[in-house]
Amino acid sequence: MNPAATTSDALIDLRGVVKVYDTGEVPFTALKGVDLSVRSGEFVGLVGKSGSGKTTLINMITGIDRPTEGQVNVGDTPVHALSENELAKWRGRNIGVVFQFFQLLPTLTVIENVMLPMDFCSMYAAAERPERAMHLLEQVEMADQAFKLPSALSGGQQQRVAIARALANDPPILAADEPTGNLDSKTADSVFHLFEELVDAHKTIVMVTHDSDIAARVRRALVVSDGEIIEETVHRPRTERRGV
Amino acid sequence: MTVSPRWRKVARDLGGHKFRTLLVVLSIAVGIFAITVVMGGRGILLREFETVYGSSVPATISFDVDSADESVVREVERYEGVRRAEGLRSFSVRYTRGDQPSEVLSTGWDTLFVRAMPDISTSGIEKMTLEEGSSWPPATGEIVLERSVNMVADYHPGDIVTVESPGGTRGVLRVTGLVHDINAFPAQFVAGTTGYVSMETLRSLDEPVSFNSIRLVAEEELTQAGASRLAMNIRDDVLVARGLRVLQTYVPEPGSHFLGDIFKGVSLLLLALGVLSLFLSGFLVITTVQAIMAQQVSQVGIMKAIGGRADQVTWMYLVMVAVYGLLAIIVGMPAGAAAGRWFTEFAADLLNFRVTSLAPPPYVVFLGVLVGVGVPLLAAVVPVRLGTRISVVRALNATGMSGTTFGHGLIDRALGLLHGLPRPVALSIRNTFLRKGRLALTLTTLVLASAVVMSVMSVRTSILATVDEVDMWRFDAQFYFAVPQSREAVERIASGVDGVTAVSSMPEYRSVYERSDGTESESIDIIGVRPDSDFVVPRITEGRWLVPGDRAAIVLNEDVTQSEPELVVGTTASFNILGEEREFEVVGVVSAGLMGPVAFAPVEHLDSVTGFPGAATRLQVRTPTGDSDEQARVARSVEQRLEQRSVPVAFTQTSSEQRDQVASQLGILVTFLAIMGVILAIVGVIGLTGTMTINVLESTREIGVMRAIGASHGSVYQIFVAEGVLIALIAWAVGAVVSYPMSWMLLDLLSNAMGLPLTFAFSWPGVGLWLASVTVIAVLASLLPAYRAAQVSVRDAIAYE
Repeated sequence: MNPAATTSDALIDLRGVVKVYDTGEVPFTALKGVDLSVRSGEFVGLVGKSGSGKTTLINMITGIDRPTEGQVNVGDTPVHALSENELAKWRGRNIGVVFQFFQLLPTLTVIENVMLPMDFCSMYAAAERPERAMHLLEQVEMADQAFKLPSALSGGQQQRVAIARALANDPPILAADEPTGNLDSKTADSVFHLFEELVDAHKTIVMVTHDSDIAARVRRALVVSDGEIIEETVHRPRTERRGV
Repeated sequence: MTVSPRWRKVARDLGGHKFRTLLVVLSIAVGIFAITVVMGGRGILLREFETVYGSSVPATISFDVDSADESVVREVERYEGVRRAEGLRSFSVRYTRGDQPSEVLSTGWDTLFVRAMPDISTSGIEKMTLEEGSSWPPATGEIVLERSVNMVADYHPGDIVTVESPGGTRGVLRVTGLVHDINAFPAQFVAGTTGYVSMETLRSLDEPVSFNSIRLVAEEELTQAGASRLAMNIRDDVLVARGLRVLQTYVPEPGSHFLGDIFKGVSLLLLALGVLSLFLSGFLVITTVQAIMAQQVSQVGIMKAIGGRADQVTWMYLVMVAVYGLLAIIVGMPAGAAAGRWFTEFAADLLNFRVTSLAPPPYVVFLGVLVGVGVPLLAAVVPVRLGTRISVVRALNATGMSGTTFGHGLIDRALGLLHGLPRPVALSIRNTFLRKGRLALTLTTLVLASAVVMSVMSVRTSILATVDEVDMWRFDAQFYFAVPQSREAVERIASGVDGVTAVSSMPEYRSVYERSDGTESESIDIIGVRPDSDFVVPRITEGRWLVPGDRAAIVLNEDVTQSEPELVVGTTASFNILGEEREFEVVGVVSAGLMGPVAFAPVEHLDSVTGFPGAATRLQVRTPTGDSDEQARVARSVEQRLEQRSVPVAFTQTSSEQRDQVASQLGILVTFLAIMGVILAIVGVIGLTGTMTINVLESTREIGVMRAIGASHGSVYQIFVAEGVLIALIAWAVGAVVSYPMSWMLLDLLSNAMGLPLTFAFSWPGVGLWLASVTVIAVLASLLPAYRAAQVSVRDAIAYE
């Protein structure tokens, strides 16, 4: 039985997702009929080696990539059936994406980067956006760097800003692809702690990682190998682990 | 109102990448510049020429008569349909600077076309404007020169000239002014100056104080056919009725100017090159915008990942392009306007007309704005749309050259077959074909620019070849006589001069062709030749040349047959020579030869029909070597000998001088072509620089990797310079192939516009010159970007995204 078998009350529901890349001579199958469901409020880690398909899998959830076969449903939305424009609009409102290399726009200041998703999706009034952006930066302890350019920040600081940006439109889901992959261990720990606090605030988080320490700290760890989910480990909730 | 982050990004991208902004702005500005110069210059020239020429009140009809007085002129003016009539006396003399009446001069004489009128300052036909001097009209003993004299000499009020009339009488005149006469032949074109004197001055030159020309302006605007009918009516009802002999009736095409053909040619060339510049600029913008989108692809991916729709992102980049366009307008239009003014004044000087206003026509300003904003937006739509419609995953994964694929296509596999090359060279070659879409765009721009530059050089070569081939005469020096001389006498005198190896003389009569509808053609010069003379080498295009035994046969040149399509080989036509109708059979047609409308008839038959047996108005001689210095020396000797034998020479010209004169007429076109060639070469430079800059920027990480594994700065430069040179060489080769038909088409366009057959001559030296130029350009275009990239540290280069 597929360890990540779907359930009907899932927030994220993948069924039979296949992804084949046509790289020229021999097609490459990155995902081989994956079934996955994630409930609201879960903290799920996708763990695996390089080339296992974990990034491809998270890209299916965020709509950044499209399945060759299968269905991807997030909430009531059949993500696999949306056009590019519909995807962009849906993504801006429903999923906050955090990348390994931060991907802040270099010519915008920190606060402008955080405001940009609000600008695209118009979910907040223009006058409200700077205040909301500053509030988000305070949450990630970056408010005092609000008017600097990304090039003036360290990797860890940039990743905090990227998290704030991902939260700009208050999406229910955060998707993070190796968010600590480019950080030193101490910084990685502090950034991961932010994610834990977001889970406590009832966000649903799907995170890709190859780091076993990180994998041990998520609620559910799904091991991805050769395009399949081969193992699932469920950990005790953080509050329980800390004896709260 | 605060500016939203996406527009701030646009603003900062513009200001943060100054070199890229400069390249894009220059790409667009070049198009604006070229259009403003070309269309602005053309618009001003056409407007001003029409204004100045129109305001001069060109004559509708001119009659050459034997002698007329004021009463004849007044009667012509009273004729129905005539608004105004004037009489004048026109004749040619020789003139020279200074007051040297006692010396027999054989050198330093130039031709002066004299016009004498009762009061030039009140003339209402072919009006002129005083430009320098205060004595207007010229008093007795004074002369006012047409200002174009200072294109070939240096005359000012106060200078003294000695003139010698056809009868040999000399007189001294004081230059009291310079006028602009748009209806006079510019001195630089006809090796002769026009001068204006009063009727009283004619007495001092032993010239009759009467009119030999009557010109008039019709009351209404007439077609040429209508004007011809009016002319014949006036000729018969007034002039002939008064007992005058009408030697020639001239009815020009309304609104035409003798420089009209050259003007049309220039105008058409400018239009063609302006349109080509526009295309090139558009391609340049496409290439540059595509490169910008390639650089921005990951940022496009980020924006789409965080909620940006394709249309939102598209508008950001289109606004960026529009801002580039506005910046380009600020740069390109003033520069184009300034260059257009210089260009207009330069052209106006060459064509000898005054420009009253240098303001470009309003449509040029509109065109400049359209080119500045409209063309870039149009050019940018496709690359921007393609760039923003890219999927998020592709956009986020497309970093540097790792975002491209190599090795699968036909070209890639063919390149893989090249073995034995040094790795850096192999890398250059493969890098060149890595981004095939961008390469195709860059090559399109460069191939077009190369083809046009090489075509321009071929057209120039063709024009110069035409000058060499156009002449069907084989002489070294020729002498014109205002009064017909004895053929036998002038040939005998010239034969006795040292350095003369052969002589030939001939009569030349002005005639008009009597059309079947009763109207008359423009003047046709009929030259009497010996059919077997080796002084004439006809280029037969139809029928045959004259043969011994021909009587009333005539050979026409293409200038005649093009304007008189009734005259075909085999027809019998009537020509009015010296007031008498004579019939000739058209036996052949020769190429036009830049002689104007000319015909050839057997000299013996002309002798018999004109009543001037043995007359010559032109003498030609040959020298041993044909060297220009020898030509000039022998010409002076012959002229001196003729003068000594009381044969006054009106005009002397060596074949070298004639060639130079023809070349100067067509030289205007060559000059314009050279200017446009330079502009288009600049377009090519900008295009290649832009592409190489972007290529190098995208390879920054790879440069870092190469340097990390041992490549020196020199090795890095070598790779990118080789890539740039390879692109340039491909563009040159394809451009050379394209330039052959392109130069033929440009030449054909010019030839049809001017009504002048131009000899096609492809410029192989031009191909070689462009090869050298484009190689140097490629090296320079690649070196700077490669140098800048190589300065980045290895660590930063590897971390570059």
